[in-house]
Amino acid sequence: MTQKIIQIPTLNDNPQDFTQLFGTWSEANDYYADICFDFSVCRFLRPTAVAFLGGLARLIESRFGSVTFDWSTLHDSWVKTTIRQNGFASVFGDPSAPWDGTSIPYREDSALDMNGVMDYLTYDWLGKGWGKTHLSERVRDAIAGKMWEIYNNAFEHSDSKIGIFSCGQHFKRKNELCLSAIDFGLGIPAKIRNFVGTDSRAQSLPSDACLRWAFTRGKSTCTGGVARGLGLDLLKEFIRVNQGKLEIYSNDGYALVDKDGERYENQDISFEGTVVHITLRCDEKLYRFRDEAGVSMNRRRES
Amino acid sequence: MKLFIKDQIGPRCIIKEDGQKIYDAIHGALQNGETVTLDFEGVSQFASPFFNFAIGQLLKDIAEADLRRLLQIEHLNETGKMVVERVIENAAKYHGDKDYRKIVDDILEQQAKESD
Repeated sequence: MTQKIIQIPTLNDNPQDFTQLFGTWSEANDYYADICFDFSVCRFLRPTAVAFLGGLARLIESRFGSVTFDWSTLHDSWVKTTIRQNGFASVFGDPSAPWDGTSIPYREDSALDMNGVMDYLTYDWLGKGWGKTHLSERVRDAIAGKMWEIYNNAFEHSDSKIGIFSCGQHFKRKNELCLSAIDFGLGIPAKIRNFVGTDSRAQSLPSDACLRWAFTRGKSTCTGGVARGLGLDLLKEFIRVNQGKLEIYSNDGYALVDKDGERYENQDISFEGTVVHITLRCDEKLYRFRDEAGVSMNRRRES
Repeated sequence: MKLFIKDQIGPRCIIKEDGQKIYDAIHGALQNGETVTLDFEGVSQFASPFFNFAIGQLLKDIAEADLRRLLQIEHLNETGKMVVERVIENAAKYHGDKDYRKIVDDILEQQAKESD
């Protein structure tokens, strides 16, 4: 079978970009052989796309296909700098070494590594740039603990055979810090349908309703007699209080949590897995404990 | 009985496996009506899986009022306190046996409310 060349488009974080990403997944997913990713037309690549492409490459490899990234087609200087800096390029065969900058390193976790993930969140994601200079250590610790819930959920629920893929970036001009974590597991709606599979209505449960249930405090597909189901609830609360944004794409479902509330939708997409994308506003006034100097919001208990 | 969590677990109380270790260490004493103190001095990072297993599951066979009387928590920072409270509240409402029909009803009921 000949090598299939897949063009990586310009990928931002807008809904149409996610549609394109899932289109790329679909294109690669249906082809169990050799795939070459080509950057000729790529002019921008957000961290979500970086993490997604890394995971997609590992997914193809896990099915005994081979993947190459054709670095000779990478001409855009912004994309080149970003994916070299965050280490993605070197992971996939580019001879350049990563370096410290505004890019948050690309990360692969094939198994749950608590200290590795917490170090990544605390020191790589929050511990440099804006986070280092504007956030107290206590606040960084608190935020990292909330973000851990994403990784815990993915490892505990997704049944991803290849793990979790992360990347982030601090966008100075937009004053945003973002993090994306992606698994190629079952997807949250599919997991819930399987969980309640003995009920005849299970397979017809809509994805938006499944996501809404998953975001409700105390709701969990875990069994074993220990109360669970707080992870997404704690994360949702943190995002709303701090005026950030949490987006989840899972199967054909979409969830958005921001300062205005929560929204759940069914979309015309298909993806076996879950993309979690978090955007924090880089405004240190939003992330202070009550007893920290300069606090302006008296009722806030914590970040 | 007093446990220094940093000595037992380290500065991160995050994962359920570590929570289970603490549960195993204190469950018997609490069941016997002994007072247990958990000292979190030097612990800086927290997440719900740890507390679900360390403390939440104690409510399976210890009443919430007894647990609050017997279990003393020291030097827990504000983030940790918030997670512990949420875990206790959640565990107190938890019913172990999953009623799948009820879950599907819940999902569809929420959906219907949103459609109104």
